[in-house]
Amino acid sequence: MAAVAYADGARTTPPSREKRRRQRLPLILIAPSIILLTALVAFPLVFSLRNSFYFWNLQMSPKPLGFIGLGNYRAAIEQSDFVEALRHTLTIAVVGTAIEVALGLAIAHLLAVRLVGMNFCRALLIMPTTIAPIVTGFLFRYMYDAQGGLIPWLIRTAHLPLPAQGLLGNEHTALWAVLAADIWQWTPFCAIVLFAGLLSVPDEIVEAARIDGAGGWTILRRITIPMIRKPMAFVAALRLMQIFNLFDLVLVLTRGGPGSASRTLSYNLYQQGLVDFNIGLSSASTWLIVIIVNVLIALFAVFAFKDIV
Amino acid sequence: MADHSGTVTRRTAMKAGLATALAAAPLARPAIAASKKVVRVLVVADPFYYALREVTGQFEAETGITVELENLAYDALQARLVSSSIARKPDADVVTVDQMWTGQYLDSNWIMPLDAMMKGDKDLDLADFIPEVLYSLNTWRGHFATLPIASYGQGVMYRKDAFAAQKLTMPDPASFTWDAYLDLIKKLDGATVGGKKLFGTVVAGSQPQPIVHMYTQLAASMGVHWFKEFPEGKWDFTPTINTPENVAALTMYEQLYKLSPPEAINFNWFEAGMRFAHGDIGMFYWWTPYFYLTQRDGYMTGKPSPVGDQIGFATLPHDPKHPQVISAGGWSLGIPSYAPNQDNAWQFIKWATSAKGQKAMALVDKFGHQFSDFGRASLYDDADLQKLYPYLPLQLALLKQSNGKIVRPPAPVYTTLEGIYGLNLNRVLAGNSSPSVALSATSDLFDNVLKGNYLLPYQLPSYDDTLDATKKLIASMA
Repeated sequence: MAAVAYADGARTTPPSREKRRRQRLPLILIAPSIILLTALVAFPLVFSLRNSFYFWNLQMSPKPLGFIGLGNYRAAIEQSDFVEALRHTLTIAVVGTAIEVALGLAIAHLLAVRLVGMNFCRALLIMPTTIAPIVTGFLFRYMYDAQGGLIPWLIRTAHLPLPAQGLLGNEHTALWAVLAADIWQWTPFCAIVLFAGLLSVPDEIVEAARIDGAGGWTILRRITIPMIRKPMAFVAALRLMQIFNLFDLVLVLTRGGPGSASRTLSYNLYQQGLVDFNIGLSSASTWLIVIIVNVLIALFAVFAFKDIV
Repeated sequence: MADHSGTVTRRTAMKAGLATALAAAPLARPAIAASKKVVRVLVVADPFYYALREVTGQFEAETGITVELENLAYDALQARLVSSSIARKPDADVVTVDQMWTGQYLDSNWIMPLDAMMKGDKDLDLADFIPEVLYSLNTWRGHFATLPIASYGQGVMYRKDAFAAQKLTMPDPASFTWDAYLDLIKKLDGATVGGKKLFGTVVAGSQPQPIVHMYTQLAASMGVHWFKEFPEGKWDFTPTINTPENVAALTMYEQLYKLSPPEAINFNWFEAGMRFAHGDIGMFYWWTPYFYLTQRDGYMTGKPSPVGDQIGFATLPHDPKHPQVISAGGWSLGIPSYAPNQDNAWQFIKWATSAKGQKAMALVDKFGHQFSDFGRASLYDDADLQKLYPYLPLQLALLKQSNGKIVRPPAPVYTTLEGIYGLNLNRVLAGNSSPSVALSATSDLFDNVLKGNYLLPYQLPSYDDTLDATKKLIASMA
């Protein structure tokens, strides 16, 4: 009892000034970063939230002209192509993420094979990711060129149907042609992340499963994917958000056309903010996108992480 | 701890680096000495930029002012100008201003009126400028906002060998109507010339700007105005887009697209022009810089087009029922209101838009001669230049018929309206909409935007913006 009482007494003794200082030091050191980060993240969001309730069009005036409540939100949703742009955005975000993660996983498996030159292949693979999306856009604009582009030539050589207007000029293919450029650029990123995940899967478990007679497909489904679920969920969430915000490839490749066949929410946002300079409307659109993306990510997190945490 | 092994540790390398940097600091000098006269010029990467950058040395030698020239793409330039203007921290002394931005920039005090500088300057020779160009590009509410460095009209380019092969002749200007233009294109379509099967024409179909730039020329020629009353009279922005004249014009544009390469639906300015330069197009109309750009096989490549010597030039077709109106476009130079070197900026603008400066640009032969977009009438009569650019008399005649304020009116919220118009025009080419449905939708959306921006009804003061008013303004500066 005495020992316990002594121990209790020791616990309740106030820490010395030196100890308190030592405890607070990390907080003091990290505080400027946290304050700066909060300011950098929070300020633009709060600023755009405030602007979204004002009539502020730089084509009309350099300053806000008045409070209009939810008028900008109403205008953003009532725009003739809002629903269509939302549909396109959701389609490419979901399909693009699924393809990039699936292809990335397949490539990651190939990278895990121990062959001569594999290190070079890994280095090569990261290259598309390092190219600016706008440059990728111009690259694909040339590759899609109906007269001399590589991709139409390959399609014709394979005797596959090719629209007369070219892949970017046809309303049924334009959106997918934009997505194909994104897949080309970002699948390697998924592959590299998933390859790092694959390295964490113990060989012993895979070997044991093989000895027990499990085939490749069973090992993938029952062992590999469950063990790399965290990086898979991470990369999928990241790509979902990024493709949802895809605009640079749309800008360079199709400008949302033909008609509005490849319009996305982010392209509309670019048009409202950086072409029309309607600060109020583009702020409202920004917040609509923030809300939609967060709902999507929350839903995704519920399903993807439900038994991880 | 000292390292006696002879190898360089990370810590010693960092120490050495820091010591070197500290030692070198007093030796470092600012990039530009404070006393040096400098003018920072921010321009769009249009053809004139490539000529301008070759001749800035002449300006520097004459004035002792160093030019720091930077170019940007159209969208990037506009974004940068707006953000720096809002922050009142201009990052250039001279900027290029699109005519569609002029009113916005001047009304917002982002650029300064040039009137005071122009009035006191005897070297300017303002009377040499083509009044129609100054009216279309440079004036707003009775003030000079900018001066033109590159002035564009629109005209026709056609293949002389294709005309000869099909036994066609270019009609004289009086009988060259849009119907005659369409008939000629139909006759050229499908013909094989020089081993290539021709498309009758090529259109710019990409939205929003390229298709609006090309289509509005045809529409204005056929009597279409965007608004009930602008820029003349008492401004009334009630849209007049959905009219029988515009339906007829759009129906014709749809026909022109059907006689173009199908991928032209996604063609921007340059892609349309270069398709003609590559030799499988019979005839098309486009901005006058394509009179020289189509002589080459690519942008500033210097290599000749395979059909460069077969290109003929003609005036634009007209509609006998309406007075001819030709589009005017181009780029002008202005001075940001908060620019630090405004005097140097004015010296540069004056030189770059002078007959001497413009001629020097026209004589640059780095990529072949690739500049003839003069805003000054005297250069169109210059024998040296006529030798290099034989179409100059035609180009001057086109500019003298131009009215940029009707074809693409520089009204407030123009870019928003252009976005709507471009999308709906493109929908017609894509087959998603008929001309009448597209124009009805455009008109409704125009109405919404104009009302939403408190432009309908218009309650601010109007300015009766006429060519005569500009001529009087020019005279008042003398």
